Amino acid sequence: MQEFLQHTINGLSFGSIYALVALGYTMVYGILAMINFAHSDIYMMGAFGAFYVIRFFNLGDPNPVHFTIGLLASMIFAGLVGFCVEKFAYKPLRKSDKMNVLITAIGVSILFEFGGQIVFGADPKSFPQLLSNEVVFQFYDISFQSVDIMIYVITFIALIGLSYLINKTQTGRAMRAVSSRPDIAPLMGINTNKIISTTFVVGSVLAGLASVLVAIKYPKIDPMMGVKIGTSSFVAAVFGGIGSLPGAVIGGYILGLGEYYLTGYGASTYKEALSFSLLILVLLIKPTGLMGTKAKEKI
Amino acid sequence: MKNKKIIFLISFVAIGVICHLFLNSYIQALVITFMINAIMALSLNFITGVANQFSLGQAGFMALGAYTSAVLTKEFLGDVWYVIPVTALAGACVSAAAGFLVSLPSFKLKGDYLAIVTMGFAEIVRVILLNWNHVGGPRGYNAIAKWPEFILSYAATGSYLIITFIVLYHLKISWFGRNLWAINEDEIAAEVMGTAVAKNKRAAFLVSSFFAGLGGALYGHHLGYISPGSFSFLMSVQILIYAVFGGLGSMSGSVLSAFILTALPEVLRSLPTGGLDLRMIIFPVLLIIMMILRPEGLLGRRELFASKEGSHE
Repeated sequence: MQEFLQHTINGLSFGSIYALVALGYTMVYGILAMINFAHSDIYMMGAFGAFYVIRFFNLGDPNPVHFTIGLLASMIFAGLVGFCVEKFAYKPLRKSDKMNVLITAIGVSILFEFGGQIVFGADPKSFPQLLSNEVVFQFYDISFQSVDIMIYVITFIALIGLSYLINKTQTGRAMRAVSSRPDIAPLMGINTNKIISTTFVVGSVLAGLASVLVAIKYPKIDPMMGVKIGTSSFVAAVFGGIGSLPGAVIGGYILGLGEYYLTGYGASTYKEALSFSLLILVLLIKPTGLMGTKAKEKI
Repeated sequence: MKNKKIIFLISFVAIGVICHLFLNSYIQALVITFMINAIMALSLNFITGVANQFSLGQAGFMALGAYTSAVLTKEFLGDVWYVIPVTALAGACVSAAAGFLVSLPSFKLKGDYLAIVTMGFAEIVRVILLNWNHVGGPRGYNAIAKWPEFILSYAATGSYLIITFIVLYHLKISWFGRNLWAINEDEIAAEVMGTAVAKNKRAAFLVSSFFAGLGGALYGHHLGYISPGSFSFLMSVQILIYAVFGGLGSMSGSVLSAFILTALPEVLRSLPTGGLDLRMIIFPVLLIIMMILRPEGLLGRRELFASKEGSHE
């Protein structure tokens, strides 16, 4: 039982990360109906942005201020990368076939991964310990560590912030409008290109946030670090119903917990295969995911 | 037309003999690699270009073919080289069976979702091979029977490439290919006109995975060593790049682009890159520029030899 609860704590913190990254996938899908394969690499770029900013200013010791700077650096850098990717790779293809956009996204992703190996070097770098990791409180044998609690809190704040942005602001209303009727939204005076760009930036900022949270829990970063988390988050997004924001969060937590239980009970090498099997099963039974809505095909 | 075929056959044999007698083993290996790449590109082109079913799991089919053929040759039939063609076909059949399983949901899912399912399939195959100790697990499977001479390898791989090309090209211009083309253009309209959508898509999957398995088997016997790592997502992407670059729907385009994209990194090898695989930089850049400037690829749906029956336009 204690073991189970400890896995739950770890699973929840990974679930939070998956939720944050999955939100980026689902937002882009909701607004452009494309799978942004490069999202996992924007996540990676965020971690590297934070890494170099911290090294440049020599802020590598555990300190809440340094931690905040790292978070902000990663968010800003990831946002910038997301903005550029959208502007230079996806925007010229706005009118073309869906398959072309998907292929471009795969191209961008591969370019970042292998370009990153040239620019940053292929071997893993150790991310500075920005947050002291101590046991905050102990309940029988279950220990709550400060990093885990920080991940919960920051994810919670980010989710509240995102839901405020989507539901309460003018920009969020415009995003929802573009997402539901991209052809009608411009008639209502919405600058579609600007809204799409904003959506990319918001998704990328969330990915950047997630990357620093992962980097303080597992302090190793390398240009391929996005692949595994990206795949799992993507599975989470589809599982929850791609295009649906609550779906992405729920999917993220379910997948995080599931993967941790699997790892904890000795099937770690099958982890990826099982997440994909789960995904295929969901797609076969309910192709739109848990919370997705079915779009009727028009003739 | 008859003359052309004879000229082609003669030049095919001549190239093989020239490579065998005058060129070093490095270039010989490249020639075989090109042929295998071409078979893989053709197999993907049939499912993605002609039938418009986006597959990101070609590496999974390739892995099935490669492992089946390698295990059969090594463990059941000894290392007699003349059984390689038999095991290669067996590998292709196993892969086709898997392709049939994957195709079952394909009439229910389309576009992105199908891409995800095929990608997931390849990933599952890879993870199973990784955990299967009998075939070496992560260490890979080595000492697979290879062809003793280049010329034999050339003849076998080359004939398979020619057969693949002829079969897929004729399927493309056949009644079946036209059905697929109609589904590709407008699925609902095709269904209204009486095309059996699900059946045709399933058949297309079967054909494509068969040839992908064949390519994989030849790949294993060419290198003599295979590991689950060789059949990762990157391999699927590489095959996709070959097919897209040549033009989705153009069979000769796939062969042409497999040739260009196999040769190009070797030509650029002299550049100082610090020991990095240059392909993975050139290919994505090429792909992105291509998608923006010329999204239909080098040849679009046209074929190099412009016979009337070959084009759908």
